[in-house]
This record gives sequence, C-alpha cells and structure tokens, in this order.
Amino acid sequence: MKLISIKLCNFRQFYGKTPEIILSSGQKNTTMIHGNNGAGKTTILNAFTWILYQQFTAAFASPELLVNKRAISEVNIGTSVECYAEIILEHENKRYQIKRRCFVYRDQDNKIQYGQIQLFMSFAGDDGCWYPPMQQPEEIINRILPESLYQYFFFDGEHIEHIFRSSEKNTIAEDTKELLGVKILDRAIEHLKKAKKTLQDELNELGESDIKKLLTQKNKLEQEHTKTNQTKENHLQKLSQYEELKKILTQQLLELSGAEELKQLKEKLENQEKTLRNNLVNTKQKIKKTLSSKGYTILLTEVNSEFYQLIEELRNRGELPSGIKQKFIEQLLDRQQCICGNQLHEGTEQYLQVQSWKNKAGIADVEEAAIRLESNVIELEKQVEDFWNNIDTDQSNIQQWRLELSQVETELDNIKNKFRHAPDEDLKNLQKRLDEIEESIREVILEQGVIKQQQEIITKEIDTLEKQISKQKIKEEKQALAQKRINSTQDAIERLQEVRKRVESQFRLSLEKRVQDIFNSISFTPYIPRINSDYEIRLVENTSGVAVPVAASTGENQILSLSFIGGIIDRVRDWSQKNTFIGLDSSTFPMVMDSPFGSLDEIYRRQVAKAIPQIANQLIVLVTKTQWRGEVETEMRKYIGKEYILVYHSPKPDCEEDSINIDGITYPLVVRSSNGYEYTEIIEVEKEIEF
Amino acid sequence: MGWAKSHLKTMSIDTNLDNIQEPITTASPEVRQIIEQVLKLEKDKLYLKAPRNINDDVLTIIKEIVT
Repeated sequence: MKLISIKLCNFRQFYGKTPEIILSSGQKNTTMIHGNNGAGKTTILNAFTWILYQQFTAAFASPELLVNKRAISEVNIGTSVECYAEIILEHENKRYQIKRRCFVYRDQDNKIQYGQIQLFMSFAGDDGCWYPPMQQPEEIINRILPESLYQYFFFDGEHIEHIFRSSEKNTIAEDTKELLGVKILDRAIEHLKKAKKTLQDELNELGESDIKKLLTQKNKLEQEHTKTNQTKENHLQKLSQYEELKKILTQQLLELSGAEELKQLKEKLENQEKTLRNNLVNTKQKIKKTLSSKGYTILLTEVNSEFYQLIEELRNRGELPSGIKQKFIEQLLDRQQCICGNQLHEGTEQYLQVQSWKNKAGIADVEEAAIRLESNVIELEKQVEDFWNNIDTDQSNIQQWRLELSQVETELDNIKNKFRHAPDEDLKNLQKRLDEIEESIREVILEQGVIKQQQEIITKEIDTLEKQISKQKIKEEKQALAQKRINSTQDAIERLQEVRKRVESQFRLSLEKRVQDIFNSISFTPYIPRINSDYEIRLVENTSGVAVPVAASTGENQILSLSFIGGIIDRVRDWSQKNTFIGLDSSTFPMVMDSPFGSLDEIYRRQVAKAIPQIANQLIVLVTKTQWRGEVETEMRKYIGKEYILVYHSPKPDCEEDSINIDGITYPLVVRSSNGYEYTEIIEVEKEIEF
Repeated sequence: MGWAKSHLKTMSIDTNLDNIQEPITTASPEVRQIIEQVLKLEKDKLYLKAPRNINDDVLTIIKEIVT
C-alpha cells in the first residue's frame, strides 16, 4: 500500500476543507509534518486509522468529538455540518479513494448530535475514471492491510512499546501470521480436511464391492452348466444306443417268431402309426396357420353389418346406386336438349329444372368405391364360412386319426403281448428285453427334459449375475476414483501443513535475525533481541556466554519495538515477494509515526532518524519543534519529499506565538486567532524543485 | 501419503525463506493444482468470517482436478 494524499474537512482542529496533503514516496519517501502540542499531529495520525478502520490510537483524547468546534457553532440549530476525512492510496497499481464521513448538528438543547458514520470507496479504472468497487469497502481495506495489524503501521511513537504490552502480546503472533498468509493456509487445511471427510463419506456410502463373491457364484454356475451339457451328451449317446438295440431286438424278435404274417402286420401297423402321427402333426400345424392367417375374419361380423347398414341407408336415400349420373346431366345441358326433346336454353325454366338434378345425381367415385367395398365384404363373409369349414374338417380328421392311432397302438400292443406270453422262452425274453429298452428310452427322454429346464434356469442366473457384476465394476471404478481423490487431498493437506510449519519457524527465525540487525544498528548496548514462538520479544544479554534477560529502559524498549516493526515490514516484504502460491500483496508498507523521538536521548534520536526512512517504504512523521532537533533533521533531511506546518490559531489573546525555521524561511507554528476560534491551518513548506 | 513424515527429518531449520514453498513445488501436478486453486479461493474469501459454500467449492476443485 502506498499513501498518496489525505484531506480533512471540519475534522477536529481543522476548520473547513484542508488542502490536499500530498504524501511523498519513492526515493524521498518521507513526509514531515511539524506542529506544536495541540496543533493536530495526533489528529492527522488518527484520521488515517479512522478512515481505514474507524479506530483511534490510545493518545487520541475524546474520540467522540470529531467535528470542528468552529464549524458546528457557526451553523444554526438543526443545520448539519459535514465532517469527513479522505485518503487516496495505491495498491497493486490500483488507486483507491476512501472517505469516511458523518453529518453533525446541534439539537434544541444545543447538544452536538452525530449522524451515521458512512464509508465510501471508489477506485480508478484503467481509463482513469472512478468507479464504485464490487465488494464491501471494509473487505477491500482489510485485504490491503488487515485491521488487526494497523497499529504496527500507524502509531504513536512515544507509546510505541504499548503495542507490545503483555496483554496484547498473543495477538502479535496471530497478527503477524495473518500478514504472512498463515490464516489462508489454516483455512485451506481446515476446508481440505472437511472435503476429505465428505469424500470419505461418499466412499463409505458406495460400500464394499461384492464383485469377488459374484464372480465365484458365476464360475460355479458355469461349471454346473458344463456338467449338464456333458450329461445331456451322455443321454443322447445312450438314447442312440437304445434305439439301435431296440431295432436289433425287434428284428431278432420277428425273425425268431418265424411268422411272416405277424411280421408283416407289425411292419404295417408301425408304418400306419408313423403316418398317423405325421398326419396329426401336420394337421395341427395347418390349424395354427389357418388361425393366424384367417382367424381375424370371424371377428369382422359386427363391422360388416355396420357396413351393410350404411349402404342400406345410402340406398334408401336414393344416393346409391344413383339412377342419374352427374356427367349425364352435364351432357344434356351442354347439348341444350333434354331427352324428351325440349330445348334447354340457359336461363329457361326447363334448363333450371334439369340443372337442379345435377345436385341430386350421384358422384361416380363414391359409387365405385361402394361397389368395390361391398364385393370385398361379401368375399370376407365367404371366407368366414370357409374358415369354419376348414377348421371343422381338420378337427374331425384329428379326432379320426387319434382313434385310428389308438387302435393301431392296441393292435401293436396285442402283438407285443403275444410275444410276452409266447411259449418260446427266447421270444418271451426278447420281448421282455425290448420292453425294458423302451422303458429306458422313456426314462432318458424324460431326463433330457429335466436337464433342459435346469440349463434354462442356470443360463438365467448367469445372466443376472453378469448384470450385477458389470454394476459392481462401475462401483469399483467409482471407489478407486474416490480413494484417489482422498489420497490427493490428504497429500495436499500434509504439504500445506508442512508449508505452514516452515512459514512459522523459518519466518520467526528470519524475523529475529532481521530485528537483531536493526536493533544493533540503532542501539549501542550489547543486548540481543529474542523472539519466542508467540512472537514475544525481549532483550537478552550474552556477555557472560549465557543469555540473561535484560531489564530494558523505555528508550531501549522503544528502539526494540521499532526494530520489531521494521523487521516485520522487511521480512513480510521479502516473504510476499518469494511466496508465489499464497500471493500476498504486501510488498509495500507505509509507516505513519506520531512523535517518534519523544523519550529518546541524542544518540538514539540520531540512530532512529537514520534507520526509519530505510525501514518503511514510505514514512510520514509528525513532530514537534523540540523533537525536530539538529541530529534528527541532519539524518532525515535527505529523505524528505514533502513538508507541512500545522499552524495553530489560538483564541487566547495573550498567547505566546511560535515559529519554525526551515531552509532559512520562518514559518508560524502558533498564531493568535483573528476570529476568536481555535483551529489549525495547514501550510506546505516550499521546496526547491530539483531537476 | 506420508510425505511430510519422510521429509521432516531432512528439513533443516534456517532463516532462509526460499524453501518454504518447496512442499508445494515438489507436489504432483494434480496435488499442486489443488493447492493452488484452494489457496486462491481461501485468499479471495479470507475476510469473510464464514465464507458461504466454501466446502462445496473446495470439493468441486478436488473433483474437477482428480478425474
């Protein structure tokens, strides 16, 4: 952050609008503001903290009285006075204008009443125009310089050590860490942990994968299927063996029986059986075919009768078939002669009579369609009859063949019975064997059916399992991804924790070293500043080889505090340039100091004066005439870019006037007020323009 | 996993600020991307006491990067 200018209006000692106090930066980075006690040095310091944070330093007396006394007493009761302070600053190459304002008035009882304090901000776009910001002004200010840290940059030099009073010490560590971006790391770690927890929950919700169990089940079923296939194969083999055996046995039986007649009869019966069975199969197929191709015709009865009714109505109305065609009427009119011989001239009564028939006459297309439809319907009705006839015939055939088949079977059975009870033992045995074989064949066929059913069940189960397995595979992929995400998050957490640890330890050590360097450059004591893990700073003495705490003087403590602030500015600047991930924007810091040389003796005043322009990037120093002594002036003169005088107008008639000499020119510090009011005027010390 | 543990022993404490970011620069591209994006998000919402939806936003970052 670079401060560009500050302007006040009716703010404490400052009556009306002050000129814009331009603040120096760059090589001559110091702005010096001179003023005697009560002239408004502390007011200017507090104007900065009020604008930015609505805060005041401890030395700012009666903070509730912000408005300039003269301004409020000059207006009528009930009329409000505007009281404001505004600064322009630059941050990350963007210029911000920030103004805090309130309206003040005197009420009926002559009491001063303050209206709401409002904060305004605008920023300069690249086009040079001012725009209101998208975010809350407070939010932007806090991003530029966190409120918790303002006291390190805007402070009362006489009480600088108050910043480090023990009750506030613990916040120093926190505040500094915030400046380093540790809070960002902490929040990132915290939120990543929460994200990890959510990811873990999501993984748990996915549940355990059943894929192994399902694969085992599938394997088992597949094995079972293979086994049934084998059994089926075995059965087929057995069956063909049995059939072969049956054939041989039947042959043997017939040969052994010696009766050619019986043999022929059996063959005949067997052929008949075959034919009948064939007939039965074929006829059943034929019925199925008839049903599927002509079956619909029997469902059309209702539609057909509706059609007939329609036609009937048309006929009754004389529209079908039309006795006279439209075309015929047209021809008569064209010819201008009726079939009765009468002349048909346009406009005559006869003409009109004949013409009126035209509408009554039927349209040829409708008639044709009706005729075609009617013949189709008749055809369909005929088909219904045919359908029933065919089905009836087939059914009766089936019945007949079944009867015949049963007769043939009985006759065949009779023959078998004859063999079964034949006196010849061989014949008997052969038939018995044949019966057994036939029984076995039946059993095998039955068994085949069972196997087929089993296989169907197994195939279905395998199908279901495969579907489940593919679902589980998707689940496993999801699980792997969730696990991968958890691992990456954990890795990110651990790395950020490590970075945080390094920031804390390395920054503190780096800061301690820098503070020691600054302290050494200012102090003539052999004391060494030490910073503990809570960022508590103290001085130790090490001359005996053992570090012993030192009871430091106010002056030493002041230098120590200044060194600490200087160290923080330097190290934070260094860190913000080095860290590229957190991306802090804290590379430039201003320092606004009120009376920084208050309780220091000559040597320290010189050292401090020498050190501070180098510690901060931009320095604004508010001093009294006594603080601005030879050694301070000598050391700081070369850094001063802008210089102002706060001229105090005293209403006291016999007040002692005072002045200051800068570069050979005398400037007033205290003058008698010409109007009876106490106020301060700001005048700029003229500088020679360097080319 | 376990990265920090293995590196703790070798980490030397010094006053140099150069190697502070090393745990991030040595991360795998995915983890580095997560860290970068989450830090940016946190920085943007640092001054909100309770940033709205930040947990969802962090989760989205992870899910979009690790696919």
